Amino acid sequence: MPFNVVLRSIFSAAFLASVLRISTPLILPALGGLITDLSGAINIALEGIMLTAAFTGVVVSAYTGSVFLGVLAGVASGILISYLLGWFHLFLETDIILAGIAINILATGGTIFLLFVLTGDKGNSQSLASGRVPNVILPLIEDIPFLGRIVSGQHIFVWLAFILTWLVAIYLYRTPWGTHLRAVGENPEAAESLGINVRRVRMIALLISGFLASFGGLTMSMAYLTLFQREMTAGRGFIALAAVYLGGRKPWGTLLAAILFGFAEALSHQLGSLRIPSQLVQTIPFVVTILALVVYNLREQAVIRERRRKFQEQHLNTVATVKE
Amino acid sequence: MIRKLYMKPFVRELLRILLAVTISLVLGFIITLLVSEDPFGAYQAFLTGPLTRINRTGEWIKEAITLTLLGLSVALVFKAQLFSLGAEGQMLLGALVSGTIALFVPLPAILRIPLALVAAMLVGFLFGALPGYLKAHLNANEIVSTLMLNAIALRLYDYFLIFHIKPDGAGYNASDFFPKEGILPTFIPNVPFLADAYELFSRRANVTIMLYIAIAVVVLVWYLMFRTPFGYELRMLGANIKFARYGGIDTKKTVILSFAISGLVAGLAGAHLGMGIHEKLIANITIGIAFEGIVVALLARNNPVAVPFAALAYGYLRAGADVMERSSDVSREMVLVIQAIIILLVTAERVLPIVQQRVSASRRKKQNNNEVPSIEEGGQNAV
Repeated sequence: MPFNVVLRSIFSAAFLASVLRISTPLILPALGGLITDLSGAINIALEGIMLTAAFTGVVVSAYTGSVFLGVLAGVASGILISYLLGWFHLFLETDIILAGIAINILATGGTIFLLFVLTGDKGNSQSLASGRVPNVILPLIEDIPFLGRIVSGQHIFVWLAFILTWLVAIYLYRTPWGTHLRAVGENPEAAESLGINVRRVRMIALLISGFLASFGGLTMSMAYLTLFQREMTAGRGFIALAAVYLGGRKPWGTLLAAILFGFAEALSHQLGSLRIPSQLVQTIPFVVTILALVVYNLREQAVIRERRRKFQEQHLNTVATVKE
Repeated sequence: MIRKLYMKPFVRELLRILLAVTISLVLGFIITLLVSEDPFGAYQAFLTGPLTRINRTGEWIKEAITLTLLGLSVALVFKAQLFSLGAEGQMLLGALVSGTIALFVPLPAILRIPLALVAAMLVGFLFGALPGYLKAHLNANEIVSTLMLNAIALRLYDYFLIFHIKPDGAGYNASDFFPKEGILPTFIPNVPFLADAYELFSRRANVTIMLYIAIAVVVLVWYLMFRTPFGYELRMLGANIKFARYGGIDTKKTVILSFAISGLVAGLAGAHLGMGIHEKLIANITIGIAFEGIVVALLARNNPVAVPFAALAYGYLRAGADVMERSSDVSREMVLVIQAIIILLVTAERVLPIVQQRVSASRRKKQNNNEVPSIEEGGQNAV
């Protein structure tokens, strides 16, 4: 009986719409994580970038009364934070993981600290009247029975997530900059010897990832909720990193992986109301990620072994022909 | 003389770290000036707070004990040039297992406490060995795997706490207080001639025997790192992994063991959170301390003997921030900002060497002007 209820609620339009809503703040930073990962650096600071953008967006939109300015300032602050990260990593030779951890701590502490200074409250920004981004209502599609309720009426960032995935895919695989970026990630010395400025490519990758992760943060504070809460990103920046690996380090794979994480979270909300422990359901995507990591690396090792075998075969053949 | 002293790597490291801490504290003061009505009072509370009352001093020592264990845990993997962010998960499971034993296993204290501590270490060991195994045999990115394991541990902890450990009908997610047999005893033994001190500490600031355990762990980790074959292999791995492999070291085994032992120590830190600090299991028991071991290990430059001093210094700042929050209008999160700046300055390989290069360059110029031949040339900027 409860199983039926679960099935019915999973295939309801409201549930699928909520999956999209919950996935959005994972997709956007995951794209950012993907770009830095392909450039050969791991961006642990996604979490901190999201928090900073979420906070700045709320504060600026509350004080200017303009949602647009709030979003603009939020994105600018996220890019600024990733510039800080890049500056320390690329110019002062700080280890990127340690710098990323520092950025996360700075963002956690800094946002709570400023929240308290501005509102006298350390929990959330309820006293600030901050804005919300508009929903997109699709005039004709809205009337389609099932689909209409899923895709129409979603906030603008849901759409942005899909559009940006498409743009990131084009950037990475259809432009020279994307090729440079992947080359730098694959083999920085070779890229350098071909005249690619490794440092600049990595900095650009970090800035783009800051741009993308900022939208993830803004989704949390200006769309999903309309206020800032302390530590409101709650590990989403790290889940986003996992989505990159689960998605096989490809844009659309990353998007699907992020949606899978969103699905698990939405499902655990549903199950919570049925007295099924939501915590256990929530572990599933993480277990899957570890398994994906295992499979990915096993495959990788197999490829290397295969390549080595072929090389040896070829090499031995040439040696044999020379002898003859 | 002074110059000679400065050439010693140890002194240079110490200066570097002191400079980084000083810069961060000055920046912290500037922030306080900007936001506080009474910046001097606030900063005084921050810098002297932990010493003003015995219970505050106790909080500081307890914090330092947790930080020491976490710092050692991180140093063990950092020394091998590996990264592990898994301390949070290992602590959570350590706290969970030791807390369950402290609550439910009907044994006298003399057996229950050691059992709980050993169980916490064991679960930490196993939970640490897992990402080590993945790293060693599959070359799986240890950062991602430890982060995933943290997320899993957090949910398992919440699940067991909420569905099995929490007393029925409790409004918040926490266990009952541990029974007396499940709480670590005060570090001063309850004997007649120490009665006054015992009374003072057990009432006002319950620093537990974990103090001695932490000191013992420091010595053990030092011994392990510098006086055993495993420690040698660990350090070789950190110095040059290829060389270590060609030298015949079983690098896979060393990687797994270093992760596992690091997890063991973190599991013990988790037991301290439950049995030494909160005296019950609460939701988010590791909040705000999960990544702190990294700062301590960085400040101690992965040297186990330096770890307790770094932990005391850093714990002092954290305890001071608590006092500041309670006695002024500046919130305790300022210490997080200071912490972030410390990490950035200490790890930025080029910040303080740049200063140093300039100093030695200007000195050399002066020397050349005086036509004094200089013996030392360059080569000192490698840190």
